[in-house]
Amino acid sequence: MIRTTASAMAYLVSSIVAGFVGLLWSLAIILGVGLLSITLAGGPAFLGTAWVTRRLADLERHRAGWVLGSAIPAPYLPIEGATVQQRVSAVATQPATWRDLAWLVVLFPLGLAGGIAAIVATVVDLAAVVAPAWAWAVPNPRAPFPMDPLMTTMPGRFGLTILGVLLLPVTAWFLRTAGLAQARTARVLLAPGAHRCLVEETTRLVQTRRRVVDAQAAELRRIERDLHDGAQARIVAAGMTLALAARKLPADATAASDVDLARRQLDDALTELRRLVRGIHPPILTDRGLHAAVAALAGDSPLAVEVRGDPDDRYPPAVESAAYFVIAEGLANAGKHADARTCVVTLARTAVTVTVTLVDDGQGGADPSGSGLDGLRRRVEALDGQLTITSPPGGPTVLSAELPH
Amino acid sequence: MRIVIAEDLLLLRDGMVRLLTDTGHTVAAAVDTAPALLAAVAEHRPDLSIVDVRLPPGFRDEGLRAALTLRATDPDTKVLIVSQYVERAYAVELLADGRGGVGYLLKDRVTALDDFLDAVERVANGGTALDPEVVRQLFTRNSHNHGVDGLTPREREVLGLMAQGLSNAAICAALVLAPVSVEKHITNIFAKLDLPPADDANRRVLAVLTYLNH
Repeated sequence: MIRTTASAMAYLVSSIVAGFVGLLWSLAIILGVGLLSITLAGGPAFLGTAWVTRRLADLERHRAGWVLGSAIPAPYLPIEGATVQQRVSAVATQPATWRDLAWLVVLFPLGLAGGIAAIVATVVDLAAVVAPAWAWAVPNPRAPFPMDPLMTTMPGRFGLTILGVLLLPVTAWFLRTAGLAQARTARVLLAPGAHRCLVEETTRLVQTRRRVVDAQAAELRRIERDLHDGAQARIVAAGMTLALAARKLPADATAASDVDLARRQLDDALTELRRLVRGIHPPILTDRGLHAAVAALAGDSPLAVEVRGDPDDRYPPAVESAAYFVIAEGLANAGKHADARTCVVTLARTAVTVTVTLVDDGQGGADPSGSGLDGLRRRVEALDGQLTITSPPGGPTVLSAELPH
Repeated sequence: MRIVIAEDLLLLRDGMVRLLTDTGHTVAAAVDTAPALLAAVAEHRPDLSIVDVRLPPGFRDEGLRAALTLRATDPDTKVLIVSQYVERAYAVELLADGRGGVGYLLKDRVTALDDFLDAVERVANGGTALDPEVVRQLFTRNSHNHGVDGLTPREREVLGLMAQGLSNAAICAALVLAPVSVEKHITNIFAKLDLPPADDANRRVLAVLTYLNH
C-alpha cells in the first residue's frame, strides 16, 4: 500500500518534469522538421527526431510501469527500406509515430495538473499531522473560522493532527487513483494499437498456415513411406512365403488353386495400394523432384507434352506437391474434355513464386467452377497461391498456378 | 548363381534370401544401404545384384543410382532392380546404355516365383526383364508414338512381351503362335521402328528403348 502510493507519488511528480521536456521537444521538432522538410535535410531530420521521440516514449512506457506494474510494450513495426524516402514513409505510416507525439504534447497539461495536485494534497495532509510542532509559530489572527481555533489553540492543533491522520488514507487513495488514471491514459496512446495488433495477427496467421501446410506435406510423404515400407512390404513378404509354400505342394494338390488365388488376391491388394499411394504423393516426386515427376506425367499422357523449365530446380515439398497435382489434373482434363493433341507445360521461378502454366491446343470451354478445378484452386490457395484459368470456346485453354515458395 | 541383395527392409531381405537359396542360388551378401551395395559388389563380384530402388540413407532413388554407378564402372555388372513402384523414366535410364543385363520389376513379381526366377536368369545372362506394369503404362499411351503407331495389334502384343524381356520361344508359348510367325512379327517390328539389322539381342533392347522413349 505504502509502496504503490509512493510509486504513484513519484510518477505524478516526475510527470511535471517529463511533461515539460515533452512539450519542449515536441515544439522543437514540429518547428524544426517543419522548416527542414522543405529542404533535402527533411528526411534525415525526420528519421533522427523520430528515433529520439521513440526513446522518450520508451522512457514514458517505463515510467508508467511504476504504476501499472510492468512497462507498456512498444508498438513499433520494423522499419524496412533501403532509401531514406522509403524509411521515412515506413516511419510516417506507422500510427505509433503520431501517437507518441500526441502523448508528449498531452503529457504537459496532464503532468502539471496531476503533479501539482499530488504535491499539494501530500503537503497539506502531512502538515496537518505535524501541526502541533509548527502551527504555534504562524499565529494568524485573521484566519477564517475553522482555521482560527485549529491553528491558534493547543487542542485545535492536536485536532488538526487527528484530522490529518484520518485523511491519510484518503490522500493515499487520491494519489494512487490520479497516478493510475494518468498511466492508463499513457497506455491508451503508447501501447500497441489496432494497427500493430492486426499486423501481428496477420504475421502469426501466415506463419501458422505455413506450418500447417508444411506439416501436411511432411505427413503425406510419411504416409507414402509407411504404406511402402509397412503395409506393402508385409503383403509382399506374405506373397513370398506363399510362393515358397506353393513350391512345396505336389503339382496335383487340390490346394494349389487356392494358393494361386490367394497370391492373385495379394497382387490385387498391392495394385490397389500402389494406386492409392500415387494419389496421395507420387514416389517420383520425393525421389527426383517436380521436373522429373512432370516429365514422367508427360510421358504417361496420351498428349504430346513439352516440358519447359530448369530440371534441377527444387522447391518446398508442399509447393511441389500442389504444382504436381495441378499439372496432373490439367493434363487429364486436356486429354479427356478439351480434345487436345499437344500441351506445353512451363515451370518458371521468380524470386518469390513458382509459376506453373499449361497451354493446350484443345477446344477450350473448360468450366472453372468444375469440381476438379475447384479442388485444385483450394489446394493452391492454401499455399497463398493463385489459380487462373482462361478457356474461351474454341480454345486454347491456359491453366496457370502461381505459388509462393 | 551368386547374388548380392540390397534391400533395407529386413522382412523382405530375409524373404528374398530364403527364396533364392531355396531355389538353388547362393546369396553372397545381403546389405541394406547403397554404399554397402557398392562395397559388396566390389568384394564378391556376383553374377547378379538385386537392388531396391529406395535405400537408406536418403530413402529416395539411391538404389537405382547405385545400380547405374555399378554399370558405369563395370559394364558387365548385371542388375535387377526391384521396387514397390515402377516409373517408366527409371526403366529408360537402366536400358539407356543399350547393353542389356538389366531388369526392373515390381516387388510383387517376386511372388510369381517361376516368372521371377526366369527374370533372374535372363538378366544374369545379359538379357532384359521389364515389369508388365511398365509395359502396361506404355500401352495406355496411344497417340504420337510415331513408329509404334504403325504396328498391328498383334505386333504390339509381341513388342510388349519383348519389352518384358521374353525370348522368341517364350513369346511363342505365351501367345500360342508358331515360331515362324513370331519371327515374322519381330522382323516387321524392327522394320517399322527403323532399326537396322545388327546383333539380334541388341536390337531387341533398342526396340524396347524406342518404345519406351516415345
